[in-house]
Amino acid sequence: MTTPLEAAEPAVAQAAGPGDDRSTGRGTLQYALSKAGGALFSIAMVIVGTFFLFRLLPGDPVRNLAQGRNMTPAQLDLERRRLGLDKPLIDQFFDFVGDTLRLDLGTSYEYKRPVLDLIGERLGPTLLLAGTGLVIAVSLGIWQGARAGWRHGSRFDRFSTGASLVLWSVPTFWLGLLLMMVFGVGIGPIPGLFPFRGIESVDAPDGFAYLLDVASHMVLPCLTLVAVVYAQYLLVMRSSLLEEVSQDYVTVARAKGLTDDDVRRRHAMPNALLPTVTLVFMRVGFVVGGAVTVETIYTWPGLGQLFYEAVRVPDFTLMQGTFMLITVAVILMNTLADVVYHVLDPRVRAA
Amino acid sequence: MSKWFARLAALGVALLVAGQGATAALAQDPAAGKKTVRVGATQAMDSMNPFLAVRLVSTSIHRWMYGYLTVPDSKTLQPSPDLAESWTTSEDGLTWTFKIRAAKWSDGKPVTADDAAWTFNKMMTDEAAKTANGPAVENFESVTASGQDLTIKLKAPQASMLDNPVPIMPKHAWESVTDMANYDAEKYPTVSSGPYFAVEHKKDQYVKLQANPNYWRGKPKIDELQVIFYDNPQAAIAGLKNGDIDLIGRLSPPEFQAIQNDPNIEAWNTQGRRAAYLQINHGATTTDDKPVGDGHPALKDVKVRQALHHAIDKQKLVDEVQNGLAKPADGSIVPPMYTDFFWEASGDTKVGYDPAKANQILDDAGYKKGADGVRTMPDGDRKLEFRFSIHTDTPIEDKLAEYLTGFFKEIGITLTTKKLDSSKFSEETGVTGLFDIAISGWSVNPDPEEVFATHLCSRRPAPGGEGGGTESFFCDETFEKLYQEQLKELDRPKRAEILKQMQERLYTQAPIIAIYYPNDLEGYRKDRITSITPIPEDKGLLYGGSGYWPFYTVDVKATATGGGATGGGSNTGLIVGIVGGVVVVGLGAFLLTRRRKSTADERE
Repeated sequence: MTTPLEAAEPAVAQAAGPGDDRSTGRGTLQYALSKAGGALFSIAMVIVGTFFLFRLLPGDPVRNLAQGRNMTPAQLDLERRRLGLDKPLIDQFFDFVGDTLRLDLGTSYEYKRPVLDLIGERLGPTLLLAGTGLVIAVSLGIWQGARAGWRHGSRFDRFSTGASLVLWSVPTFWLGLLLMMVFGVGIGPIPGLFPFRGIESVDAPDGFAYLLDVASHMVLPCLTLVAVVYAQYLLVMRSSLLEEVSQDYVTVARAKGLTDDDVRRRHAMPNALLPTVTLVFMRVGFVVGGAVTVETIYTWPGLGQLFYEAVRVPDFTLMQGTFMLITVAVILMNTLADVVYHVLDPRVRAA
Repeated sequence: MSKWFARLAALGVALLVAGQGATAALAQDPAAGKKTVRVGATQAMDSMNPFLAVRLVSTSIHRWMYGYLTVPDSKTLQPSPDLAESWTTSEDGLTWTFKIRAAKWSDGKPVTADDAAWTFNKMMTDEAAKTANGPAVENFESVTASGQDLTIKLKAPQASMLDNPVPIMPKHAWESVTDMANYDAEKYPTVSSGPYFAVEHKKDQYVKLQANPNYWRGKPKIDELQVIFYDNPQAAIAGLKNGDIDLIGRLSPPEFQAIQNDPNIEAWNTQGRRAAYLQINHGATTTDDKPVGDGHPALKDVKVRQALHHAIDKQKLVDEVQNGLAKPADGSIVPPMYTDFFWEASGDTKVGYDPAKANQILDDAGYKKGADGVRTMPDGDRKLEFRFSIHTDTPIEDKLAEYLTGFFKEIGITLTTKKLDSSKFSEETGVTGLFDIAISGWSVNPDPEEVFATHLCSRRPAPGGEGGGTESFFCDETFEKLYQEQLKELDRPKRAEILKQMQERLYTQAPIIAIYYPNDLEGYRKDRITSITPIPEDKGLLYGGSGYWPFYTVDVKATATGGGATGGGSNTGLIVGIVGGVVVVGLGAFLLTRRRKSTADERE
């Protein structure tokens, strides 16, 4: 499974072109700086947009807090003052921008704790789950996609494309519950194999056994996550490899007497990897946001779950905070993808 | 090639070590021989600070951790001693003196009246401390302590003094807190006076409570009580079936039916403490009596509201919407489980299911049927077309809307469903009055005062549009007068009589129409939990009662040495995982060697 990634490293060096790094170095830096400027502008727009977007949402957050509870009008006013909702909109806006620049994302209505703390607590579990899921999905997608594209029309191609597309079309929530029932609870004589709640057991052991405990808790969420998303890597890889198969250099490589595997791994794949790299970088941005659905099914204490909770309440400051974090992460990763693409592919540089 | 083998070897070693780690974990299970009850909850705690926590799960857990002045008696639900062992009231009902019992906090320090006085004074002086239970001290003039005597002076008489929902906090552990609004109280072990104290809280994952040896009633029978949070109910049900948790409450009818036939699970089905009702826009107004909203003018006519009441087949709603797991409502907002306060309509007042009578009432009042079978207003041509506001994503409310539409069609009234997300819903039905009929409900406490307060004139939104927390926009002179009377009435049976008259007023005026009282649906593992006493003890509630009694009396089989069901499950998983890993690695190695070999062959 790790083979394609192994192959990718030397390939990257090859694609970057022979030894002209120094001359292009400045060009790349300039390019990176201009991209970074663009990203900063986007982030500024996100901050402004976030403020107004969340003020436009219907419903009074204070009334929501009071739902199903006995609250006097005086108490509601108190809450409104506590949340700073009694100030004029323009003052609220400047407070918001100032606080955000100081990385103060406010205090959650519901948890009464700083949003940044809440996000900090959730980042680790989310990166663990979504990161592992991404690595597996990308490896699996690239590996299967490359083979499927290479032997286009073969039984392997038909099978893997078909299977991945079916999983891609399945609703995540449904697949998650199904996997939970089959592998978590067990069906008939098959016992439940994996835990399906949280990141660790309540009475989790210490030391190495703790790692195993976490690993076993990761199996089902990871499986769900990978099953649903790996099709996109597979399809992109497959189609870009298909384009390479008919290229002249592939024929030349074959003519040199290289084995089929070598032609695929050392010649076709490096060139076909570029669109996948872009896709991966874009997805890395979303990793921070976690997988809302998967995290909610398996009660995984990540950012996705936090966002879901925030929407359910609705907890406006928490929603704002997580929303900004996710958008900023996506912007940063897209910028990075642009730059990396620039380094990887000489054709982009020339253009 | 050798690089690959080295990697495979490393992986193999890692897996071997993993296997041994798993067996080691099996051998030294920390839970062995301990009595642990694991309760599932589909809501996580918002805060461990009782001054701030508002979620139901948090207030329940705090009820297991802290003592109160008084608590509902486990048999009669009448106020009974908790940290206050006795109390007296002055002639005018304004001065209450509570004698605090000589109990100990979980850290061994004595509980004094000073602790209680500090708690109430903190709430009266610090606005942040009002977040959770502000209304409870609204009527307090002053609170003072001397030795074990706590004296509370009130601004006005208040009969519900003995249902005070404020947990008494230890002054010595809390007085150093300066910024109450941002204090998360994540300090363990907690200093508690209830049956349990908290030792660990992993946010959105679980809370661990331990039995308090200093609890004044005596230590609970179990050692540890865990509350485990699930994000979705299906996972929680699966957890119960799997044995990951021992008990779960607050089930919906379909969830309840999913556990009903499991031989290891006791399906708990008793009368609940909630009333579900329809809120009718009978002419919504603000506190200065100016109309707000766009309610249909026909609904201002009490006859139309009564006709609607006659047209509803409540038994059918119970059977079809609640799957039979509810009781049709022949009363008002207080469910029948509160036998002292429950009022049931009888004789002439009773509004039964009778579409013919409903049609008769409307015909007599001049609402004539048009050619299309829909009635119109007597003095114009506006049709009797009402909107029914419900929440999005609630299948039960969808079903309810379907049946009501059918019922009202029978009497020449068109009902269309309007689905709103929860924040929009509470705004339109509680502040702006943009509705005709809306679904609502309220869980009633042993002292029902607060649910009555939601129908007071003063609870309507202020002229500026700021919300006040009304459940009906009701503003009725008779109702207001009765409310003031019950506040002053310290004699329980007499007060109950007044509260019943208030329910009758709500029933006949019909600003709300009670449709059913949903049952309390829970489930627990009968192979684990050996005994548990509900509150009230006769056919009462467990988790749904949000009292300490069931969780104080609960007993459970001790965890067998060698791990519980969860441990077994995850270990099986590990073993399967390891076997799977070995197979995959072996297969990979085989393929790899073959491939290399063939390449070598080709090269030669």
